[in-house]
Amino acid sequence: MNNLKVFFSSAVFSFRAQFDWLNPSMWLTMKLVLSLSQMAFFVFVGLFIPGSTPSLISFIAIGNALQSISWNTVFSVINITGHDKWDGTLPLVLATPAHRLPLYIGRAMIHVLDGLLSAAISFFFAAFIFGVDFSHTDALALAVAVVLTAFTMAGFGLLIGGFSFFFRNPMVFANIFTFILLIFCGVNFPVASLPTVIQPVSYIFPLTYGITAARNAVDGQTLLQISPTLAQQILVGAAAMIMGYLLFRLFENSARKTGKIEAI
Amino acid sequence: MPQPLRVIYSAFRMAMLHWMADPQWVIPNIIAPFVFTTVALTLFKNSSGPLGLYAVLGGGMMGMWGNTIYSSGFAIEFEKWQGTLEEVIAAPSKLIHVITGRAISNAFFGLTNMVAVLLIAAVGFQIPLGIADPLLFTVSLVLTLLSVSALGLVFASAFVLSRSAQALTNGLETPLYIISGSMFPIALLPFWIHPAAYILGPTWGIDAIRLATSSQYASQSFWAGMSPNTALLLDLTVMVAITVAYALIAVALFKIVEKRARITGTMVQA
Repeated sequence: MNNLKVFFSSAVFSFRAQFDWLNPSMWLTMKLVLSLSQMAFFVFVGLFIPGSTPSLISFIAIGNALQSISWNTVFSVINITGHDKWDGTLPLVLATPAHRLPLYIGRAMIHVLDGLLSAAISFFFAAFIFGVDFSHTDALALAVAVVLTAFTMAGFGLLIGGFSFFFRNPMVFANIFTFILLIFCGVNFPVASLPTVIQPVSYIFPLTYGITAARNAVDGQTLLQISPTLAQQILVGAAAMIMGYLLFRLFENSARKTGKIEAI
Repeated sequence: MPQPLRVIYSAFRMAMLHWMADPQWVIPNIIAPFVFTTVALTLFKNSSGPLGLYAVLGGGMMGMWGNTIYSSGFAIEFEKWQGTLEEVIAAPSKLIHVITGRAISNAFFGLTNMVAVLLIAAVGFQIPLGIADPLLFTVSLVLTLLSVSALGLVFASAFVLSRSAQALTNGLETPLYIISGSMFPIALLPFWIHPAAYILGPTWGIDAIRLATSSQYASQSFWAGMSPNTALLLDLTVMVAITVAYALIAVALFKIVEKRARITGTMVQA
């Protein structure tokens, strides 16, 4: 029961600490603008290609709808580490007797919900602005793919967040690891378009599996048909989350020994 | 040296020293243009025509844009975080001179971003970077840089009073890439967005830079049908006029914003 309380407190307070300064109307405006603008940018790039087809536009729009989740589950989750350092709250976090697992995992959870809202807004834009055809979509399969993408990408965010404890400026990692997803995860072009040697890198990101599963669900595949992809995604996401937690514990132990908490 | 120039130089120098003390800050500024260019080049790689030119020059332009918008928005936020905004405001120097010095340094870093994007395109994607008219290319680039800086000043003045400057910065970046037609012709955009594109100096700047790079682009310029040099000069004339307007607006806005902040005392809390 206590661990559950820690989990929920961690979820709520980490989100409030990060975004309490942002008024709700600005928060919503940014959510709409970010979701629409990134998708629009790449859709227009796609439209500029001679012989561009509706299937290419659909490919790009769905990829960016899924990638929009990363702004919350990767960028914001990594930045929790940055805020812990800048706001001077890290020593307090490390001083609490709370169990570390719910404390660490919990902090990403509101961002998962926020990411799901981003995805919903993005799919709305994909359908009503960019004309993506959702008539064959298996709604259950798509919903499960989106939810799993949010959770597993939060795991990835926690991994990089854990890694970022060892550096002075986690925001740098937040930027790098949010944007490179656009290159590696098949967001705007298939993974096969990447040079062969770097293609394996794509499969360390849970987003790659999520995007593949979502596109297949939009094409009409059922939950059962996309389940092998989703199983791989869960595996990669869980591994990332566990590694993130272990990095956090490693940092905590090192901080206690060396006394270096914020000043890396 | 006249006092305003001394203040501008000091702000420029201080911004440079900050950057050198913590150069990793350049990464958030350059990462989006670099990734967007890489994605565009990958999407365009099987296409013929001037698409590579659009991607490379557009990516470079986005590098300048991104740096200026990000830095302008973040300049005020940075002072708030460090607790130094009160001192900057209380100093007898005008805030606009301080921010101008920073805007110029940001634009300078933006130029290095552009060079980085061009190098990545040349080395990583083997895109030929032959420039038809190096002199006009340089002139266009410098004037575009000034235009971007002047627009950065307008944004900075608005950001002084906003607690959400950083969010606005993040939110504005990609829409500006779209509206200015950095990576594709603005003809692809809905017609109601076109007026917004025309009041952005860099929209004309990128047209001039493309014209100076390749004469083949002339048929796709805003001034299609005219000779490339005439079209380029028209682009630069429009951009200079817009840049002067930005500078005048920025001066007026800074006066209003600074006065209001002193009266209400909400600058740091805003």
